[in-house]
Amino acid sequence: MATTAETKTQDEQWEPRILAFCCNWCSYAGADLAGTSRIQYPTNVRIMRVNCTGRIDVDFILAALEKGADGVLVSGCHPGDCHYTSGNLKLRARWALLEEALKQAGVDPRRVRLQWASASEAQAFADGVRIIVDQVRKLGPMKEAWK
Amino acid sequence: MTAQEEPRIGVFVCHCGHNIAGVVDVVRVAEYAKSLPHVVFATDEMFMCSDAGQQLIRDKIAEYDLNRVVVASCSPRMHEPTFRRVVEEAGLNRYLFEQVNLREHVSWCHMREPELSTEKAIDLVRMAVARAAKLEGLPVKSVKVTPRTLVVGGGITGIRAALDIADRGFEVVLVEREPKLGGNLVKWNHVFPVDKSGKKILGPLIKRVKSHERVRVFTNSEVSDFDGYIGNFVATIRNNKTGKEEQVEVGTVIIATGFKAYEPVEYYAYGQSPDIMTLAEFHQRPGDELLKRPSDGRPVKKIVCIGCVGSREPGKQGHEHCSRYCCTAVAKTAADIRSDVEEVVVLYQDVRTYGKGHEEFHRLARLRYVMYSKFPREEKPQVTVADGELTVKWHDVLSGDDFEFHPDIIVLASAMVPPDGIDDVAKMFGLTRSADGFFNPEHIKLAPLTTHTAGVMIAGTAQAAKNATESVVDASGAAAKAVGLMARGEVEIESTTAQVIEDLCSSCHTCVAACPYGAIAMDESKDPPVAHVTSAKCHGCGTCAAACPSSAILMLHSTDEQIMAMVEAFLTPAPEIGGGEA
Repeated sequence: MATTAETKTQDEQWEPRILAFCCNWCSYAGADLAGTSRIQYPTNVRIMRVNCTGRIDVDFILAALEKGADGVLVSGCHPGDCHYTSGNLKLRARWALLEEALKQAGVDPRRVRLQWASASEAQAFADGVRIIVDQVRKLGPMKEAWK
Repeated sequence: MTAQEEPRIGVFVCHCGHNIAGVVDVVRVAEYAKSLPHVVFATDEMFMCSDAGQQLIRDKIAEYDLNRVVVASCSPRMHEPTFRRVVEEAGLNRYLFEQVNLREHVSWCHMREPELSTEKAIDLVRMAVARAAKLEGLPVKSVKVTPRTLVVGGGITGIRAALDIADRGFEVVLVEREPKLGGNLVKWNHVFPVDKSGKKILGPLIKRVKSHERVRVFTNSEVSDFDGYIGNFVATIRNNKTGKEEQVEVGTVIIATGFKAYEPVEYYAYGQSPDIMTLAEFHQRPGDELLKRPSDGRPVKKIVCIGCVGSREPGKQGHEHCSRYCCTAVAKTAADIRSDVEEVVVLYQDVRTYGKGHEEFHRLARLRYVMYSKFPREEKPQVTVADGELTVKWHDVLSGDDFEFHPDIIVLASAMVPPDGIDDVAKMFGLTRSADGFFNPEHIKLAPLTTHTAGVMIAGTAQAAKNATESVVDASGAAAKAVGLMARGEVEIESTTAQVIEDLCSSCHTCVAACPYGAIAMDESKDPPVAHVTSAKCHGCGTCAAACPSSAILMLHSTDEQIMAMVEAFLTPAPEIGGGEA
């Protein structure tokens, strides 16, 4: 086990580890456009591609947090713009349950973020990344939160 | 390929020249990949999408008996089809390929963070390898292509595309928002490089497209709804005058929504005098009034043309691009009217008469004593209006002198910008727009006419600022793309649909309600009834799989297991590489 001093050093070096789920049609393309437009944003997110945000099971997010992700970002099409007509709305309905479950478990719901960013909204995508990274940075490492 | 077979994964990390390797330590990423479970081969290569890169994949599949391939390069939205084809050529099922996005999602958006970028790249490769190990081959499916094209926009591009397609024997639905066909061009009394008016050039084409037996023309109309997938789209066309709507089934789409001439309200006193006009406005004036001053009808003796108005302005959103038609249009206009007036002065930043025959117009203008004077980019000419008289003051770069001139009219070569409503078109057809505001092609160099929405093409100034000749080239190109799809008659589509694991289904109907396409119904022949997915109706969103409380739905190529493998791999601490030997 690490000594207190070592833990402190680790904490100072701690960088939030954030998992992101992006839908293929809007936000993944928006993130591509952010790259193509050379919009710079924090390196902390790891993007996973799903066909639709409707594919995202709350279990995936809970599992990520349980296994030590410091935050989870989900980015999809704007309501009404879903490539599959309404998958994003289905996720939004689940989102309320997710936030409630997190509260019950004593986890700050600011560790998760749901945002809408279309294929042309590269800046909105990058801004969203910045927001969750800042939020999670203030909240500290997830490992501490579970203690 | 059976699920039981031990995965043998090959990882190929792409430099993309300097694009990825300039930020990410690709050698370290490839070296790291070798330490991952099931990886039997890993390397880095300059361009994975090149012939050499593709051959490398095929060779290594054979040499190492690879049954999964991971390429860490650009966005899968760009090259996934390329690499799927490559692995298929080497005998692997296309769904056993996985791509990591190291360019759009790493090197290009973290350009000043080489160390953190490399760490991110390592994480992403680890996640992709974990997923690759869980991938399964799927049968390849295809669908029929409806032999009809929707062309949106009835300017020169839309008309040319419609005629090309109809002449090849396919039906066309041509939709134009304005009451008449012809777009911008038909309004102009002069269109370079020919000596004809837009009406003269387009007249015969408009006549032909209107009377063509395979073309249906909808004027005063817009596409109000659009749905479906490649080969099988349904478009709703609304007549804005009558409010009537009609649905048409089409297999392919060409977007030719064009441009509008920028109204330069913040430039050169535009709007303060009728004698200051854009080049487009100048060319829309009736021929016999062309050289009369709009303010008082007196003959025009002195003209100033100003270039790059709202074009080529670094840092100004939507106005950074070169509009590409203006230098030549100005040169041709100036040369044509020179002998009818006393003086023509062209104020320019640079002269870019790049096209076939364009430089000749520039030379002709100079030969006819049109005066060209270069102004500094950071110090534009000053235009003032006092008592109806115009004054232009500017600094001439080449002589270093300051000049003052009193023209009768000022013609501003204003930028080409996207037309009103382009946002709605982008949303409707799932297109993205680049920094100039026009639609993004699938690939700027290799696929300039296709888009990320399969079956939807872009042509002409819908794609970027360009001249009429180039727009016609685009139109014929996009038409060829559409005809190619329709002539083949069918096209391969994704096999990624949902499946029910009947033993786990608890007959709760949750998925039936979740499916946006009505693709799931209860199979009542079973006791108890179980959910059943009609594959042809399934679009593969996976909403049912996420909603199912019993995990009884397998979303092919996006299974719970494949997703969880990535989540776990992300959070598994990275093993140390090399152990000192590297």
